[in-house]
Amino acid sequence: MEILKFTTAGSVDDGKSTLIGRLLHDTGNIKTDVLETVDSKDGLNLAHITDGLRSERSDGITIDIGYKYFNTLKRKYIVADAPGHFEYVRNLVTGASNVDLMIILLDALQGITSQTRIHTLVASFLGIKHVVVAVNKMDMAAYDQTVFESIRSEYTELSEKLGFENIQFIPISALYGDNVCGRSEKMEWYDGYTLLEYLENCALNGSANSDALRISIQYVNSKQKDIAFYSANVLNGRVKKGDEVMIWPDGMNAKIDRIVNGFNEVSEAIHKDKVNMFFDRQVSANRGNIISLTNNTPSINNACLANLCWLDGTASLVIGKKYIFRLNAMELYGTVTKIIAKVNPNTFEDSVSGDCISVNEFAKVRIAIEADFVFDSHLDIHEMGRGIIIDAETYYTSGVFTII
Amino acid sequence: MGYLDTLESEAIFILREVAAQFKNPVLLFSGGKDSTVLIHLAAKAFYPGDIPFRVLHIDTGHNFDEALSFRDQLVERYKLELIVRKVEDTILKYGIKEKEEKLPSRNVIQSSTLLDTINEFELDACIGGGRRDEDKARAKERIFSVRSADGKWQPYNQRPELWDIYNGKLHKGENMRVFPISNWTELDVWNYIKRENIELPSLYFAHNRDCLEYNSRLIALSEFIHIDENDTVVNKMVRYRTVGDMTCTAAIESVAQTIDDVIEEIQHSVISERGATRIDDKISDAAMEDRKLNGYF
Repeated sequence: MEILKFTTAGSVDDGKSTLIGRLLHDTGNIKTDVLETVDSKDGLNLAHITDGLRSERSDGITIDIGYKYFNTLKRKYIVADAPGHFEYVRNLVTGASNVDLMIILLDALQGITSQTRIHTLVASFLGIKHVVVAVNKMDMAAYDQTVFESIRSEYTELSEKLGFENIQFIPISALYGDNVCGRSEKMEWYDGYTLLEYLENCALNGSANSDALRISIQYVNSKQKDIAFYSANVLNGRVKKGDEVMIWPDGMNAKIDRIVNGFNEVSEAIHKDKVNMFFDRQVSANRGNIISLTNNTPSINNACLANLCWLDGTASLVIGKKYIFRLNAMELYGTVTKIIAKVNPNTFEDSVSGDCISVNEFAKVRIAIEADFVFDSHLDIHEMGRGIIIDAETYYTSGVFTII
Repeated sequence: MGYLDTLESEAIFILREVAAQFKNPVLLFSGGKDSTVLIHLAAKAFYPGDIPFRVLHIDTGHNFDEALSFRDQLVERYKLELIVRKVEDTILKYGIKEKEEKLPSRNVIQSSTLLDTINEFELDACIGGGRRDEDKARAKERIFSVRSADGKWQPYNQRPELWDIYNGKLHKGENMRVFPISNWTELDVWNYIKRENIELPSLYFAHNRDCLEYNSRLIALSEFIHIDENDTVVNKMVRYRTVGDMTCTAAIESVAQTIDDVIEEIQHSVISERGATRIDDKISDAAMEDRKLNGYF
């Protein structure tokens, strides 16, 4: 059984938490004692299942991501219920960074709003593979096909610039359950997937754009035994015992002597494996170093172009200010030297730049690092081209970037 | 990758991040199933090396004997360095007057013991077995969760946490709580225990026990609770779904004697894990949020 992780993004009152409550409820994943806490004289308040903080329940809004877990016979699901408010986009970015699929929820009567556009931009920025546009509250729109179709065509035109591979449109009523888990009798004109059918059947494993070996050294086990070995994360490709490898940014050569996965000696490791590795010789490798084969090596450079989203509401990004740039386990000081363009959140077009980037703004920038960074374009190897920017004083995770 | 491999891989990665990013981390260990799974994961994460951090038990004094002896065996087997700090000492140190209650709970006071221990050893990170599916306040917490110098969780100002890039940077006095099995459900934990053949205290399996029937909960008889003539004491076949203090963890009626029986039982249970077993969360809708705001893990 595999895990599908998804997130829901919607404007305030689009019924996002209600939708998750509905999915959990209709798949039989809410236990009786939990159901009792959301039962009121006005019926089930499904949104309370996910709104876990006191002010969220009292104000009826989602502030931060809440995680929920459910399963069907086919898949296990991890749901990141994310806030829709503009000021909490940073929390949506957190929730959406680890998902396979994003449900963008909108209200059939409201149509596409500025928040829908921001959510779409977040999905595009993070490179989310599957986007579902769920047109909710169809019950309020008399289950009218023309309402759904007009939203579909407007959204399709809007999102063209962002180049999504696949967008699925589904007309639903989270409140009554239409086309969520069961097919709606009120919308016979719709013959596509129900939401649950799509979650159950969408393809999980995309093929990587590159088979280049990349391993991140996460931890050096040096205090132990008489020989150092390295806790390593295989980011991409395949490594075999005996491979001649190079360790970056210094470009040291070594041969893989042993690979240990869990309690077992293994002859090879692949993408996503967390292994402990021994080299055939003493090398001074450190946390943050990247291992590759001798051909097909990563970029080693102290400057790069990146797309960036700023997450810090207390301080804008300032050109030339020193921040901590973190990419995998690499951590170095650096600056944003130039804002090439900002993305207009309404048209998705590039717009005039300035010399700072405010919270929830997206921009294309040039980054300069104090020493060599080891990276690939995130389009080739996603794990090698995505990172965070940490404020050097507050230590807040203030920004996120993907290297172009 | 199967789902257990995915969850294991995530947890191992997080445990290594703790070893790499912190100077003085501990793993909070109670003898319960979740922290036992954490120790197993840590052993795997650093094999063939040893687990590179100490374990800490905040001892409320209301322990099950089985959990304590299990703790000591595990510490021995993995050659762990165990720190024990007692809530009893916190009570003496601050002259705390414990409320006279039928089922005295030290759940609130133990947060102070934990915060004192963090200061005493200058611990910069505490690894805990908390899972998001246990409680709706826990469901809101980051995997790397910053606590202020006074131990408080700030649920409305959590750091963004992107992909698997965990920001462990702290100012002096702050402390990180780290939850490697955040994304595991109760059933995942049991399926993993089965797959990895992990040993657990006998409390988790059906046994005969004298219990007080209290608000339709079964509380183990012990020297810590107060029984009077109106109480009903019964002997039942029970097991524990969670193991905490004797005074605030309820047993459930069960005949599940093996891991397979337990998995079968959980799959068919209509009650959530905490709902079935915790007494202290029944107090209010936000009981866990409130405890976390005050330093609880």
